[in-house]
Amino acid sequence: MTRSLSRRDFLHLAGAVGGSTAVFRAAMGLGLLPAVAHASGRPQLAALKKSKKVLILGGGISGLTAAYELSRKGYEVQILEASFRAGGRNLTLRQGDRIDETGFPQVCNFDKDPDLFFNAGPARIPGHHQELLSYCQELEVELAPFINDNRNAWVQDDAMFGGKPIRAREYLNDSRGFVAELMAKSLKKEDLTGPMSPDDWEKLREYLRQFGELDPQFKYIGTARSGLASHDYTYPDQLKKPLSPSELLKSQFMQIMSFGESDDQAAMMMEPAGGMDRIVAGFMRKVGHLVQLESQVQKIQVMERGVEVTYRRNGQHVKAKADYVLNCIPVHLLAGIEHNFPKDFSAGLIAVPRGKLFKIGLQMKERFWEREGIYGGISWTLQDIQQIWYPAHGIHRKKGVVLAAYTFDPDAGEKFARLPPDERIKLAVAQGSKIHPDYDKYVETGVTIAWHQMNHMLGCAAQWDAALFKQWFKKLQAPVGNHYLVGDQVSYHPGWQEGAIASAHHAIADIDARERARGAVSA
Amino acid sequence: MKRRHAPAAGIALALVFGSASAGNDYDYCLLCHGTDANGNYGIRAPKLSGMEPWYLARQLENFASGARGMPADDAPGHEMGPVGLRLKQEGAIDSAVQFIGKLESKRPAPTVSGDVAHGKELYKNCAGCHGAKGEGNPALQSPALAARSDWYLVTQLTHYQKGLRGADERDTYGAQMRAIVATLPDEKAITDVVAYINTLK
Repeated sequence: MTRSLSRRDFLHLAGAVGGSTAVFRAAMGLGLLPAVAHASGRPQLAALKKSKKVLILGGGISGLTAAYELSRKGYEVQILEASFRAGGRNLTLRQGDRIDETGFPQVCNFDKDPDLFFNAGPARIPGHHQELLSYCQELEVELAPFINDNRNAWVQDDAMFGGKPIRAREYLNDSRGFVAELMAKSLKKEDLTGPMSPDDWEKLREYLRQFGELDPQFKYIGTARSGLASHDYTYPDQLKKPLSPSELLKSQFMQIMSFGESDDQAAMMMEPAGGMDRIVAGFMRKVGHLVQLESQVQKIQVMERGVEVTYRRNGQHVKAKADYVLNCIPVHLLAGIEHNFPKDFSAGLIAVPRGKLFKIGLQMKERFWEREGIYGGISWTLQDIQQIWYPAHGIHRKKGVVLAAYTFDPDAGEKFARLPPDERIKLAVAQGSKIHPDYDKYVETGVTIAWHQMNHMLGCAAQWDAALFKQWFKKLQAPVGNHYLVGDQVSYHPGWQEGAIASAHHAIADIDARERARGAVSA
Repeated sequence: MKRRHAPAAGIALALVFGSASAGNDYDYCLLCHGTDANGNYGIRAPKLSGMEPWYLARQLENFASGARGMPADDAPGHEMGPVGLRLKQEGAIDSAVQFIGKLESKRPAPTVSGDVAHGKELYKNCAGCHGAKGEGNPALQSPALAARSDWYLVTQLTHYQKGLRGADERDTYGAQMRAIVATLPDEKAITDVVAYINTLK
C-alpha cells in the first residue's frame, strides 16, 4: 500500500512551493483555519495624542466592547442606553428581575438561589468564539461546560409513534442503521464511478458497516448506540429492538437531527458560571462609569465634522455632540428615529426583517429529568415550544430552571407572544407534558420572553438572507460620515455575541485607521 | 444595576427643551412609533402625532377591550393589543393621548404611489365622512386621512376588507368602514385612493 499524503505533508509541500501565504491559503482550503477575510483577533488601537469624543448608542455587547477598547486608548467615551439596564439581549433573569416587555411587563419570581437563573438571550458559547472567550478570560468571567447535545434527551413528534417520545439516540442511530443497511445492500460494485472506482467497493461497504453498526451480513439488528434495553449489569447486555424506519421517516425531525453537529452548536460549548450576564458585569466593572441608562435616542444628525445626537431622559430632550458615533440601536427601531442618513442607507434599515424568537423559563420543584437519565442538553419536539433545555449546573440539587420553549419559527413566536404570560406558560406546559408526563406537577413559576415585544429591542437576530446581504450589508456597515452602525445586526453572525464583537472591532479598527492616517496617534 | 446620572465629562450636553410631563411613562410610545410618534415603517408602527385625541382614545379603548388587534393575521395589532391593556387603569388613556398631543407632528414622506386620477374618483365615496381635503369630521367621528402614514392607510383598508378590523361588534365605526370599503374592490383601488390622499393638504 502506498503511503498517502497526510495533511501536514501537504502543507509542508505547499509551503515549500508558495511560501507561508500559500500555506495559509491551503490551510483555509482544508478547513484548518477559520475562513475570515481580515486577520482575526482584536484590533490593536493606537493611543490618541489628543482625546476624541465617542458616543455609543446602546449598552449591549457590541457597545460595551467598543467602549472598553476605545476608552483605554484616549478616547472619551459615553454610552447612552435606552433601557434601565445595560447588556442588551444578554439577559439573565433571577429573583426580582424585571422583564420589560412593552405589553406584558413581568417580574421573575424564581427562588433566590445561585443555580436558579434563566439565560433569556444568549445561553451558550462555542469553543471557536475566540473573541468573546478572550474577553471572558480578561474580564475574569468564570466559564463552565455547557451541555448542548444529549443523546439521552427526548425526541417527540405527533407524526411518529403516536406522539410517544423516543430517546434522541434511538432516532439518530436506528435511522442511521437503516440507511446504512439499505445502501450497503443496494450498492453494486460496477456502479462505482466518478470520484470512486470499483476498487473502493469493499472499503465503502466497510464504512457503511461502521456508520450504521451493521452485522457481518450488513444487516442492521440494533446497536448499543441506541441504548440498551436494560442497564441491569447483573444480566448480559440486551439490545433494544430497532424502531420502525417508516415511522422514523414520518417525522420532520430529520431537519433538526444534526443541530448538535453544526459549527456553532457542537461540543465543546461553554456558559459563564452563574449566568450569561456575568459577561456584562465583567464589562461594567471596566466601563460602567461611562454608561448612562434610560436615555432614549430621538434624533441623529450627521454633521460635516462629528455627529449630533438628541436623546430623551426624564421627559426632557438632551443634545450631545461627539466626534464619532457608534450606533448599536436595532435597525428596525433606528428607522423610526429622526435622522439625516442618505436614502441608500436609511432604506436598508427597513429592509432586514427582525427576529421573533421566544423563550420560556420554568422553575421546577424537582429535577425530575435527572431521574430519566438526562443531565443537561436538549429534548426536541415538533410542537410550538420546539425544545426543552435541562440545566447543566446545579446537578442533583432539589430544584432547577428548565427552558420550556425556544421557538425559531416566527409564527410560533407570534402565537406565544399574543397570549398573556400565564397562558403562554399554560400552553408550553401542555406541550411539554407530551415529553414528560406529570410535567405540570413540577412547575412552580416561570418567565416568558417575547423578544420582538421587549422594550428597546422589539426583535432579535436580524433576519438577513443571501439577497439582503448582497444588497445592504456593505452599505450598512460602511460609515456615514463619522457615524457607524454596529451590533450583531451588522455581522455575518447575527444572534451571537461573537457577531456583535466582530462588528464593534470592525468599526473601531476603521476609526483607528482614520486617526492614524490623520497623524493623530502617538508613535 | 445601579442607575448612573453623571454623563461622561467633556461631551457637550445642552438642554434643548423641557417636556410638560414630569415622568417618562409614555416614552415607550416613541419606542415603536418613532421620534415624536411620527411613525416607523420598520416595525409597522403608524404615525400617531397629529391624530385627533378622540380618535386616539377610541382606538386605545378598542385595543384595551380586544375589539381591535385580536385576529390571528394582524401581527402588528397583536403587538399593540397588550399595550392597550396596560393603559386600562383610570386616566391612563387620557394621559397617553395628552402625551401624543404635545409631540411635534411632521408630514410623512409618501411611500405609496398609484393612479392619482383613479384614486380621486374613488375618494368621492370617502369625502362624505372624511372631508374633501381628508381633514376629517369630528361630528361623524371620522378621523383625518391627510398627512397620515400612507402605508398604514393601505394596511388598514386591507384589514377592513379582510375583516381583520371592524368585524368585532363593539367596533361600530369600524363596521361602517367595513361596509364602505366594498367600494375599493382590489389592491390597486386601495393604493390608488391612498395615492390621491397623499396629494391632499
